[in-house]
Amino acid sequence: MEDRRAEIRNFIMDTRTLPTLPGIVTKLNTLADNDKSSIQEMARLVSSDQVLSARILRLANSPSYGFYRVATISNAMILLGVDVVKSLVLSSSIFEIMEKSVLGLWEHSLGAGVAANIIAKRLHLPECEEISTAALLHDIGKVIIRLNCEEELSDLPVRIAEKGLSTYEAEREIIGTDHAEVGGWLAKSWFLPEKLIVPIACHHDVEAAALHQSKTAVVHLADILIKASGFGFSDNDFVPPIQPAAWKRLDMTETLLAEIVDELEEKLIDVKNFSLEIQSADDSQA
Amino acid sequence: MQKIPISLAQSGMMLAKDVVRAENPNGPPICGKGVELTDSLIDRLRNMGIQSVTVQGHPVWMEGDKTLDEMLKDLDRRFSRVADDPLTGKLKNIYRDHIIRSMGE
Repeated sequence: MEDRRAEIRNFIMDTRTLPTLPGIVTKLNTLADNDKSSIQEMARLVSSDQVLSARILRLANSPSYGFYRVATISNAMILLGVDVVKSLVLSSSIFEIMEKSVLGLWEHSLGAGVAANIIAKRLHLPECEEISTAALLHDIGKVIIRLNCEEELSDLPVRIAEKGLSTYEAEREIIGTDHAEVGGWLAKSWFLPEKLIVPIACHHDVEAAALHQSKTAVVHLADILIKASGFGFSDNDFVPPIQPAAWKRLDMTETLLAEIVDELEEKLIDVKNFSLEIQSADDSQA
Repeated sequence: MQKIPISLAQSGMMLAKDVVRAENPNGPPICGKGVELTDSLIDRLRNMGIQSVTVQGHPVWMEGDKTLDEMLKDLDRRFSRVADDPLTGKLKNIYRDHIIRSMGE
């Protein structure tokens, strides 16, 4: 079991094996690390790939970011931040897999992004865009796990149903690791900042987050809200328990949660439309 | 609250969301929420190119729509594994109230 865990970890850390990562990413990382590089330089680099830019702008204009009207990559970098755009560049190929083959998970991720945005704004937390991005990416490990361990995981649904396990517990039983940990490795291998890695890696165990606990708590709650709503689908439709640590960390109250749910349900109509538009756009391209 | 195509809108329905122009969603609303639709208002919205409106309650039943009972049953199923958890129980009650209100009961 430990072997399998190490194997998966090695696989992820070896970037050559990942689903088609755009070559732009390495250049973008170099630019982002250099204090002297400007946003314009980075924007020019991303804009040089038209297909990629179109995908980034589509995500930047998605309901997860509260409907900015972003028309150019450099505007997206200024409005959403370089880290957010970088994560979108990195995850665009994985989102492409999700949109096409795991539609339920794609809608679950979009919905969690929206929920996290609403929670973060209501609580006046700093860096709302980073929190939305972490929520958008929180289940990204699932795509990688499904790509690599399809056969081993074929009885995952059975275990979840018969033993009453949650998805990550069942994953741990079978492959010795789970999608949160794998997502964290993935984010790390992409050199994403800690404020994105930690919420992805700890969204099922808020107390394990040594840093960025508020962000992690928001992503944890967003994941649960979207499951409670029945929007999208991620392996099973059972609502996991809200961790008391997350509730406390966010100073959550019933009144506030009720307001968040009202706002979320209103926005989810838009999210559904957004998802349908993307489906029909992809269909007409094919 | 239900979003319906303008072709199914009827006088007497109440707007649950502001109606905005598709090309300028952040601009000023054409018609505010809480307004009761009339035949002439629906005609005017249609002439302005509005495709859909969000109205209160659940006035139009389409194929695949779930009834209140079915929705509450689904909710019970989704929360079946956390039935005894106090915090998650609060969330369930919030959703229960929301569903009942959204169906206009």
